[in-house]
Amino acid sequence: MASKTLLLAVLLTAISASTATMAQAPATPACTTPVTLPAELSGWSPRSPLAAASSLAGLASATIVPGAAIDAALQPTPAMQYLMRPEKPGGSVSYGGLFAFTVPTAGTYRVALDSGAWLDVLADGKPVTSSAHGHGPDCSGIRKMVDFPLAAGPHVLQIAANGKPSLVVLVTRLP
Amino acid sequence: MKGAHILLIGAALLAAMAPAPTNWDWALPAGIALPSVPADNPMSAAKVAMGRRLFHDADLSIDGTMSCATCHSQRHGFADDNRTRPGVDGSPGRRNVPGLVNIAWATPLTWADPRLTTLEAQMLVPVLGDHPVEMGMKGKEAEIARRLSADACYGKMFIAAFPESRGRIDMANIARAVAAFERTMISFDTPFDKAGRGGAPLSAQAQRGAKIFFGEAGCAACHSGVNFTDYRFHRLAASIDPGPNEVSGRPDDLNLFRTPGLRNVALTAPYLHDGSAATLADALRAHGVKAVKIGQVTDIIAFLETLTDASFVADRRYAYPEAACPS
Repeated sequence: MASKTLLLAVLLTAISASTATMAQAPATPACTTPVTLPAELSGWSPRSPLAAASSLAGLASATIVPGAAIDAALQPTPAMQYLMRPEKPGGSVSYGGLFAFTVPTAGTYRVALDSGAWLDVLADGKPVTSSAHGHGPDCSGIRKMVDFPLAAGPHVLQIAANGKPSLVVLVTRLP
Repeated sequence: MKGAHILLIGAALLAAMAPAPTNWDWALPAGIALPSVPADNPMSAAKVAMGRRLFHDADLSIDGTMSCATCHSQRHGFADDNRTRPGVDGSPGRRNVPGLVNIAWATPLTWADPRLTTLEAQMLVPVLGDHPVEMGMKGKEAEIARRLSADACYGKMFIAAFPESRGRIDMANIARAVAAFERTMISFDTPFDKAGRGGAPLSAQAQRGAKIFFGEAGCAACHSGVNFTDYRFHRLAASIDPGPNEVSGRPDDLNLFRTPGLRNVALTAPYLHDGSAATLADALRAHGVKAVKIGQVTDIIAFLETLTDASFVADRRYAYPEAACPS
């Protein structure tokens, strides 16, 4: 089994461009009480509105602050000019967007979404390979989480193939 | 699958299977028979190119988020790493996503519906089906045609692929193109294949595993032939999933599931019709291979790993096209 595990790990790591497979929501549990989020996700709410950029030119006005979630207004996919073609670009009726964010100190950062949209994190125009992916805590509203090892400095978050024009996004540093 | 409209469209596509036309270069190794191709859907480069684009096009789902490739991920041998996949509306999936390789020879095609004997008919199920909802386009065939018609490139591609119908954009031609592309997903270049052709021998462990697989463990009784499947339905254990009984009503069909092929099986975890086996070892245990000792299980797995075609899962001919319009 060790060799099989290694083979799979190597293949998955080598082939993965920048992000994990689209995380899927399990059957929705009955949510009757508010869930207490771990500290690293505490910025999930409250949120501020922010319009996504559709191209590099608009990135400066679409800046996410790590630790503070946004209610993103996405752009129609046909209007998107991605910096790097997403592996799952979405159909003409889907939505996407570009966001800038600055990493203050190197570490592992998590991107949390309330949908299963495709996401890439770019550094110097190149995709960063994710280190983990999964679902959010039950009843948190967080559907997908992808972790990236990031160096300090500017980064771009690409969102693709979202089914709705709105999206909750949190970029947060892990302990 | 409950949608009568799917069956109607599928029936229209169920042309008599005919020997493959000789003008298509299948590039098969010696000893591999040509696959059968529906007489009304001969292979062509234009059709395959458009089928490839359609396979990766999320406009075949209601909200533009899910394409065939969303679940059939190339890095996973065109399978999925979830037990089952929720549909585009979040409704739970029912069965594990099978890998896609050498499906030009596969019939029937799915875990539990013996009626699906052509790729053309099967392709419509995830797009239009509602048991479960996958891509969510039941009753939205006209919307698919609208979306594709709005794309000038698709207009040219449909004309090139289907000149006999002057490039008609409809579900039947969409299914034909995707099926033609899927028939090109061919792999006979695994370490096991190469060893059989006189190439590098398998490791001693894999050779021991092969001996057990084809011998005392009895795996090859069902996992037989060049694709390691007999394409027949068998019962491993009782299940809440009725299997083919669901469509046939026959008691004997209860809990049967079609033998999956094993090419690229090391990439397609989890396993079994419900994805309940997380690893190959789990899958072997679920088969009740009690006579096989623990060491032999690892030997069998070493053999199964030789069925991985690394070049196939990295082959750009099956990936999302770099350009929407081929030049």
